[in-house]
Amino acid sequence: MSKMKMADGSTILRRNRPGTKVKDFCRWPDEAFEEMDSTLAVQQYIQQLIRKDPANIDLILKMPDAQDEGVWKYEHLRQFCMELNGLAVRLQGECQPETCNQMTATEQWIFLCAAHKTPKECPAIDYTRHTLDGAACLLNSNKYFPSRVSIKESSVAKLGSVCRRVYRIFSHAYYHHRTIFDEFENETYLCRRFTHFVTKYNLMSKDNLIVPILEDENVPGESEA
Amino acid sequence: MQNESSECGEMEESLNHQNGSQMGGPQNNANNKQGEKNNPKPQYSIPGILHFIQHEWARFELERSQWEVDKAELQARIAFLQGERKGQENLKNDLVRRIKMLEYALKQERAKFHKLKYGVDLQQGDIKPPVLDDPALNVDSQLDSEAPYTSVSNASWRQGRQLLRQYLQEIGYTDRIIDVRSTRVRALLGLNNNAEQEENLNGGSVNCNESNKRASDTQDTNTGRRTPAKKPQPSVLAESMMLDTEAAVMANLDFLSNPDVDMEDEDDMSDEVDLETQDEIDDDVKSVKRKDDVDAEAMEVLNELNLLSESEDQRQDINKSESGDWNKPFQPTGQPGRRTTMGMNDDENIDAPLGLGLGELAQLTVNNEAESTYDMASSKESFRKAWNAKYTLRSHFDGVRSLAFHPTEPVLITASEDHTLKLWNLQKTVPAKKSASLDVEPLYTFRSHQGPVLCLAMSASGEQCFSGGLDGYIHCWNTPSCNIDPYDLFEPEVLEKKLEGHTDAVWGLAMHHNQTRELLLSCSADGTVRLWQPKTDVRMHDAETGKMLYSNECLNWYQSKADGIPSSVDFCRDDPTKMVAAFSSANCVIFDIETNKPVVVLEGESSAAPRLINRVVCHPTIPLTVTAHEDRHIRFWDNNTGKMVHSMVAHLDAVTSLAVDPNGLYLLSGSHDCSIRLWHMDNKTCVQEITAHRKKFDESILDVAFHPSRPYIASAGADGLAKVFV
Repeated sequence: MSKMKMADGSTILRRNRPGTKVKDFCRWPDEAFEEMDSTLAVQQYIQQLIRKDPANIDLILKMPDAQDEGVWKYEHLRQFCMELNGLAVRLQGECQPETCNQMTATEQWIFLCAAHKTPKECPAIDYTRHTLDGAACLLNSNKYFPSRVSIKESSVAKLGSVCRRVYRIFSHAYYHHRTIFDEFENETYLCRRFTHFVTKYNLMSKDNLIVPILEDENVPGESEA
Repeated sequence: MQNESSECGEMEESLNHQNGSQMGGPQNNANNKQGEKNNPKPQYSIPGILHFIQHEWARFELERSQWEVDKAELQARIAFLQGERKGQENLKNDLVRRIKMLEYALKQERAKFHKLKYGVDLQQGDIKPPVLDDPALNVDSQLDSEAPYTSVSNASWRQGRQLLRQYLQEIGYTDRIIDVRSTRVRALLGLNNNAEQEENLNGGSVNCNESNKRASDTQDTNTGRRTPAKKPQPSVLAESMMLDTEAAVMANLDFLSNPDVDMEDEDDMSDEVDLETQDEIDDDVKSVKRKDDVDAEAMEVLNELNLLSESEDQRQDINKSESGDWNKPFQPTGQPGRRTTMGMNDDENIDAPLGLGLGELAQLTVNNEAESTYDMASSKESFRKAWNAKYTLRSHFDGVRSLAFHPTEPVLITASEDHTLKLWNLQKTVPAKKSASLDVEPLYTFRSHQGPVLCLAMSASGEQCFSGGLDGYIHCWNTPSCNIDPYDLFEPEVLEKKLEGHTDAVWGLAMHHNQTRELLLSCSADGTVRLWQPKTDVRMHDAETGKMLYSNECLNWYQSKADGIPSSVDFCRDDPTKMVAAFSSANCVIFDIETNKPVVVLEGESSAAPRLINRVVCHPTIPLTVTAHEDRHIRFWDNNTGKMVHSMVAHLDAVTSLAVDPNGLYLLSGSHDCSIRLWHMDNKTCVQEITAHRKKFDESILDVAFHPSRPYIASAGADGLAKVFV
């Protein structure tokens, strides 16, 4: 049960009641993963770890024993897409269609937006939004992901392409809006975590990881990848 | 003095004459002659001054009589309306009876069908029918005889009408007979008093009329004069009768087609009806009897009419004896007279169907409105039965904290902890495999909050929406078109502005729209409730007031230090100069919006267990506040007295959200027990419970909503889904 008996007999209810202050939002005692009986246990667990210390990437990505790996990857990707909304909000203020009329990172590639019937050269901000919207639709699709408890192997294969697309948002921000990227990264460690994640679970080829974020450290997942 | 008074007596008499003659028709020559006859009187006995007084008195008397005529007229109108009401009641009973019959017939058919199909008697219903059997059979036979009766009566009624018209034309004295008839009808409807009153009221002038007649044998001239004026009447009457017949037939057809619809609706209710049928059959019999009585009386009238036409002598007699009485209303003075005539015409037109038919057809004609309201009532009944999950809105990555419907379109917006809001059009669905519910994909994603979005409100026009977030900002959005391409180009104008002022999470928003402005209330964990006028032009406001508030759009703010942090806020919908805010002290405080002062405190009794309030909503029309509590209760408060009027354990876990339907008849509640419940507002009983969402941590359902104009309800869950029920 998620309810935990305290020493004084009162029950802890993990709720954000109306009127909760920012500092108290989601501030409740941790719950052990084994105790979580919800269908959303994996999401709860991942969010709990991130809230505790977003910099502790190894712990966040450490899959509990006996956890279905497909679900683990799926829930992590959901969390990444959700947090990428934060980067998109920041980019909306600065990334104008006039200045960034194409989705680029380095000069090597122009990315075409896959949200349309025929892939299109969308301005960077539109590419960002469309990619996040498309990812939200795919990851919530009743067809591919009807359950959050078990996931078909064929659907797990879809995760890689989502990763490749959303990674371009990091790379565009890094190469064109470095200030925003750094601010965001310092708060969330999101790109770092993402890079570790896709490396660990071999969801993207190393060639595509063009944001030089792991060079100063040993990539822990590399040996496993 | 005695002399004077006796003279006054004489005067009165003479005045009566004068008055009477004027009543008879002031503009005709006969009257002038009489006036000339009267003129010599004052000359030989009374000096000029007395003559003047007499003249004045006559004038007042005349006015008085006019008033009396008006009064009589109004009384007649009242009597007519009362009659109409009675008729409507009869019809209502009749319709209820018919519906019961049809219901019963349907049930029998169903049983028969079941028996034929499965060879076994239908069980659930058949436990009761044996009890019902005897009266039910009666009802059935009545029903059988009923159906042909309707059609036969249609034909026979038309024939009868034709015949009657013929008679009327033969007779010639159409209006007089109609007068007789309409009074008879009134008498039937128990309105004798009124007719008598009329007679009494006019009694004063009867003598004069008779004297008139005697004096100049005006009887013939009277009728001669009146007949041309009244000549159009028979045709008008006939037309109106035709129209009424048609209306009656149409109403009958309507009625015949309506039960089908009703029956379908009431399929669901059949269990309930089973219990009630027996009681109501008794009522039915009564109402049948009563109707028969009325029919018999109607026949009497018709017979009387026949008698009138058959025996010429009798007719003459009636004419002689009654013409005096019955002409009177048509012979009062000048303009009021005309008015009266018109009034009577109206009466006749409406009386006609009543008088001739008095059966169901006539009643149906008169009671179309009653029928339609009845239908509405029954559709309301079915309306509440039908909630089923139809749309699943999946696209949010985290719990959906709030949702709001568009005021008119099947469109809604959801606000989520994943930092976004999404716009959904329920008409753009993706058919989902092997499930009855439809998936909807969002049309637009609103990104601007740097953190979970906690609350949402939509403007009365639907053109703008407002969201409050954990980041302490309220964002004003221009709602994109509900036909937008989901992958269109980014338009920064969608975010109109941010309302800055709160210094902590914004947990509640409420909109109120009046003729001149749109007002927005917000409550925040910073302890304040703020009132905004989001559409204010910032610069104009600056120029006018010359002072800076926290933000230019913020009109006012409210605080109750003793009560702590507000958790939810709403306008008092019946009196939008007030608003109610729920505080962490478990008290609600009603503030006056203009003066900033607390008006009433809805005091949650202090007890060991905190009764934290998760949501407060106000009834749309009456001064009633409803609160949802963490202690599983829903409580109802009188806004005027501040007293709690009702308290109930509503869910198995904390009640998180409330919504009242636009008519104020139903209450919807959501709870962390994963279910939403629909309640009758008046008797506080649960109508329906739907399990809708899964738990994330200890949260489940975070918001519920009624569509302001369409039959949709929706729930938002911590599982990241929103569901729409139809």
